Amino acid sequence: MIIPRSIRRLTEKRQHREGPWSELFETYKGDEVVSLDCETTSLDVKQAEILSIGAVRIKGRKVITSERLDLKLKPPKSLSGDSIKIHKIRASDLADGIELDDALEQLLAFIGNRPILGYYVNFDIRVLDKFIRPRYGFGLPNKAIELSHVYHDIIKWKHVGGDVDLRFDTISSKLDIPMLERHTALGDAITVALMYVRLKYGVIPNTSY
Amino acid sequence: MPNTFKMDNIPFSLLNEGEKRLLSTHLDIAYYQQGETVIAAGDVPEGVYIILKGRVSESEASSENEAAQHIFVHYENEDYFGGWSALRGTAIHNFVAEEESICHILPTRTLLELMASNAQFADYFQQNLAVKREIVAQHGGNQDMAEFMLAKITDAAVRDPLVVEQGVSIREATELMRHKKADCVLARKGGRLGMVTGTDLLDAVVLEQRPLETDVSEIASYRLVTIDHEDYLFNALVMMTQQQIERVVVLSGQEMVGVVELTDVLSYFSSHSHVIGLRIERAASIDQLREAALGLNELIKALISTGVKIRFTMDLLAAMNGRIIAKLFDLTVPADMQPHVCLIVMGSEGRAEQIMKTDQDNALLFRDNLAWADKQATMERFSATLISFGFPPCPGNIMVSNPEWVNSVGDWTQKMSDWADTCEGNALMKLAIAVDAKPVAGNEALFKVARNWFLRHLRNNDVFFSHFARAAVEFDTPLTFFGNLKDRDRLDIKKGGIFPIVHGVRTLALEQRIIKTNTFQRIEQLIEQGVVREQHGRDLSEALALFIQLRLRQQIKRTEEADDGVDPTPNQIDLQQLNKLERDLLRDALHVVKGFKKHLAQRYHLGG
Repeated sequence: MIIPRSIRRLTEKRQHREGPWSELFETYKGDEVVSLDCETTSLDVKQAEILSIGAVRIKGRKVITSERLDLKLKPPKSLSGDSIKIHKIRASDLADGIELDDALEQLLAFIGNRPILGYYVNFDIRVLDKFIRPRYGFGLPNKAIELSHVYHDIIKWKHVGGDVDLRFDTISSKLDIPMLERHTALGDAITVALMYVRLKYGVIPNTSY
Repeated sequence: MPNTFKMDNIPFSLLNEGEKRLLSTHLDIAYYQQGETVIAAGDVPEGVYIILKGRVSESEASSENEAAQHIFVHYENEDYFGGWSALRGTAIHNFVAEEESICHILPTRTLLELMASNAQFADYFQQNLAVKREIVAQHGGNQDMAEFMLAKITDAAVRDPLVVEQGVSIREATELMRHKKADCVLARKGGRLGMVTGTDLLDAVVLEQRPLETDVSEIASYRLVTIDHEDYLFNALVMMTQQQIERVVVLSGQEMVGVVELTDVLSYFSSHSHVIGLRIERAASIDQLREAALGLNELIKALISTGVKIRFTMDLLAAMNGRIIAKLFDLTVPADMQPHVCLIVMGSEGRAEQIMKTDQDNALLFRDNLAWADKQATMERFSATLISFGFPPCPGNIMVSNPEWVNSVGDWTQKMSDWADTCEGNALMKLAIAVDAKPVAGNEALFKVARNWFLRHLRNNDVFFSHFARAAVEFDTPLTFFGNLKDRDRLDIKKGGIFPIVHGVRTLALEQRIIKTNTFQRIEQLIEQGVVREQHGRDLSEALALFIQLRLRQQIKRTEEADDGVDPTPNQIDLQQLNKLERDLLRDALHVVKGFKKHLAQRYHLGG
């Protein structure tokens, strides 16, 4: 999956170099990262519809929660019982949501060409790409940072042998990060951002299982 | 919107909904690893930091070669720091993460915006301890008080409100008030109610010369001060005193149920303490007096547990105790001896700062060459009776049953000056107790002669004052304990806070020859004489009141829990029992003590 994505990205970069979104394709030079999380109706990319998008910028060791994206979308037709159970988002909660077009526009402007951080971030990117590509003719070209990889690399380095437990709740408790609002897009994005900063700048946690 | 930020804590709970929203949209979160500097002295801080998790210490900007930095304070979960630095523009201290810390940052610009829109929030951030305590008192101060008696608003006479509609003239309103025998009327204007008092009517007609046909709703004041009908009556009194008003509107939920007036509140209270006072006055035998004295305990307990301001309680108790002792003196000492002797109380009793009955510190002065054969036997009986009233004996045996504390005026003054000259610890301690003396019974003139002589005797004796003051700075004031709640969760508040203030103020008062003995009154006098700056004096008073209040609450609790009803550690404060707000105030108060000790050290040249 990774290789086709990078090849496709190169092609798309060539196609859009002169377009209105050319900035997205430039290599990022700053020190910011965007932590992103989407709540969706399904864990299958083909069926998933986006319910809400949350994102915050990380600058150095700081999570800039004052500049954040907290988008609730109009309820998709597929809003089903299962995802309601996970996210506790009902159609009525999304009654004052915005249109998907509008949300994607805001999201692209917010992210720019910064790297995107997330927990199983490829899923979010692929779902977003599914909706972005038909509208813009490209997928998100940004570099992706997978939180569980960052965590895994550090833990593995300290801890030879055995599988590393990569569940969200385990990581957050190992890193001693307070769980903010679990299962809201923005809450998860902030938690992931804090975990990232903690891994990047903090002392390596003790992982004696 | 992430609700990681707790708005329930003061000062953030002072903000209204809109301001809270503004606050939460401007918060950032920062991560600091152990040992990392959050704000360095000289930096321009980004704003106020509120700890989400972790611990941060504040320390002095050290010169290079100073090895151990002096840490002032530790901040923990939900504490905020850097407010002062943010307002000044630069930090004067170093703030370092003691452990991994995650902080919310409220940018200075937003802070200033909030301070501009919310005066109380601004006060809390800028002001000193005295103002902070006042704000706290107004905002849910009494929540965790024990459920005790004391009158609720509904117990007093709540008067039916007299409401008039908009358009009623001043003349009509006045007639109605006369008819209904009311001295205030509530005028409705749109959806709001405004208060019009007799004074308002007079002012409007006589001073402003408005015509009698003026609509009363034009002269009403719409900033109504309200209280819930379930609230304590005493709080209504405090409110009236603070705001200098005589009426408070009583609400039940959102609905107005009436008006309570100052005269009603006062008459209610006076009738209570008055009853006990009468019983003391009328006691014809020691047994009757004992009964009255024991009744007093209950009253005090009730006052304390309902959160009545500590100074009122202390004043009331001192007055009552004084009357009990005076009455006992009356019943014990033969009438023909009374003009020739004077009974004094000393120590905390003499300062009128005793609340829980600690020990009796008293002494007797008698006219030089008085012949009274039964003197010592009578005094022994006196002490024993007081013990039976529930005044425990003094462990240092400073009471009239001990001949050392029964003296002629000449011997007494000699003793005091000997103590002052030795500059030795035990003697100075006795002297400290003795200079807080207050006459309670017998011939006051005897006491005054001795006191005035002694105050003159001390004049300009710098060596004495330097020795005397030293005790106040002897014990360290613990400001770093907040970080170690787990291993060191107790604090001796007497050594750390109460004693330095009381003794320091006592020294200053002696030097200025102030004859008041109560620490609060001494502070007021010191301010008046320009020895202490007003701001500092008020902070000192509030700090002392806070210490006493916190200590008292835990004392009561421990006394109730102990099997024998005796509190084994009367001066300990268990920090874990304090809530976040109390820890905040305690920290500020200890800062005040620290500053005061510095001042004393400078004034009396107590190096080191």
